[in-house]
Amino acid sequence: MPDWQELVRRRLSGLRLDSNQKEEVHAELAAHLEESYQAFWAEGVPEPEALRRTLAQVADWKELQRGIHLARIRKDIMTNRVTQLWLPGLLTFALSMGLEAVVQKFGPRPFVLDLDKGTPVLMFYTAWLLMLPLAGALGAYLSKRAGGSVRMVLAASIFPVLPFAVVFLIAIPVGLVVNHNLEHHIVTAAYLSMSVGWVLAPGVALLAGGLPVHLLLRRRSSSQNAAIV
Amino acid sequence: MIGSGIKRGTAELAVLSVLQDGPLHGYELARRIEQQTNGALRFTLAALYPMLYRLEQQRWIRGAWETSANGRRRRCYRLTPAGKKKLSPLQREWAELFRALQRLTKVAHA
Repeated sequence: MPDWQELVRRRLSGLRLDSNQKEEVHAELAAHLEESYQAFWAEGVPEPEALRRTLAQVADWKELQRGIHLARIRKDIMTNRVTQLWLPGLLTFALSMGLEAVVQKFGPRPFVLDLDKGTPVLMFYTAWLLMLPLAGALGAYLSKRAGGSVRMVLAASIFPVLPFAVVFLIAIPVGLVVNHNLEHHIVTAAYLSMSVGWVLAPGVALLAGGLPVHLLLRRRSSSQNAAIV
Repeated sequence: MIGSGIKRGTAELAVLSVLQDGPLHGYELARRIEQQTNGALRFTLAALYPMLYRLEQQRWIRGAWETSANGRRRRCYRLTPAGKKKLSPLQREWAELFRALQRLTKVAHA
């Protein structure tokens, strides 16, 4: 009788799962093949034929490997995105909004930027900007702890400005192209100052917290890996 | 030719229905389906396990390693509460589809 476990391991050698999952799959499929083979044997099917019929259950091992891989990782992708991006990102967003509310109520007066005839275009809450690195650091920490890649960690850390970035970089320019009755110099100046105030400045502040956390955790994990090696 | 969506749907229905009677491991499950459908539905290993893993990811079934009386370790699957909840509408939908097809074929032969 063949070593079913070894046979499955060899035929599914390209299965891209973590080692525990892979071992489980190998053991389960080997048990199935063994049982199938023994059932044929018990029915009186000669050994070579029993072996042939058992192995005929898998016409294409590569296809089976692909099917198992897809079935097993589908949820992992979803779970990872939730724990590495959405959850830390939303917490960062909530914290930054909370901090802004606190600063608006109890903090110092904002720095007001106006363009024409004293019309305020933008209010800079400097105290809020100074606190934002905390929120960015939290997002980066949570994402990194969930195993996020550099891209995920940085996206989670600047998550609060991403909706504004989409609006300022895409929606407003498109709107201006469609509706071009407004005075161009006013619109351009307002657009630039608001982009700085809503996207660039808070984005840099968030990143000032997120990036050091990312670098710190990366250095720590690489030194741990070195210690294990 | 039967589309892959229909094939997958019938396969899922078969697995969930059989597991309704109690937990089974993969090989036993395939045998039970074959016996209960008089050989009309046959699951090879290649078709069965990707589907079992998919159903497990959807949390309709749960697999756990168990040791049988003869000392063999097998991964047994059982229906979860979510799977039980899913099963009745699934059975209804398929019953409706078969009735509709029957009506259609009768009309076509008339």
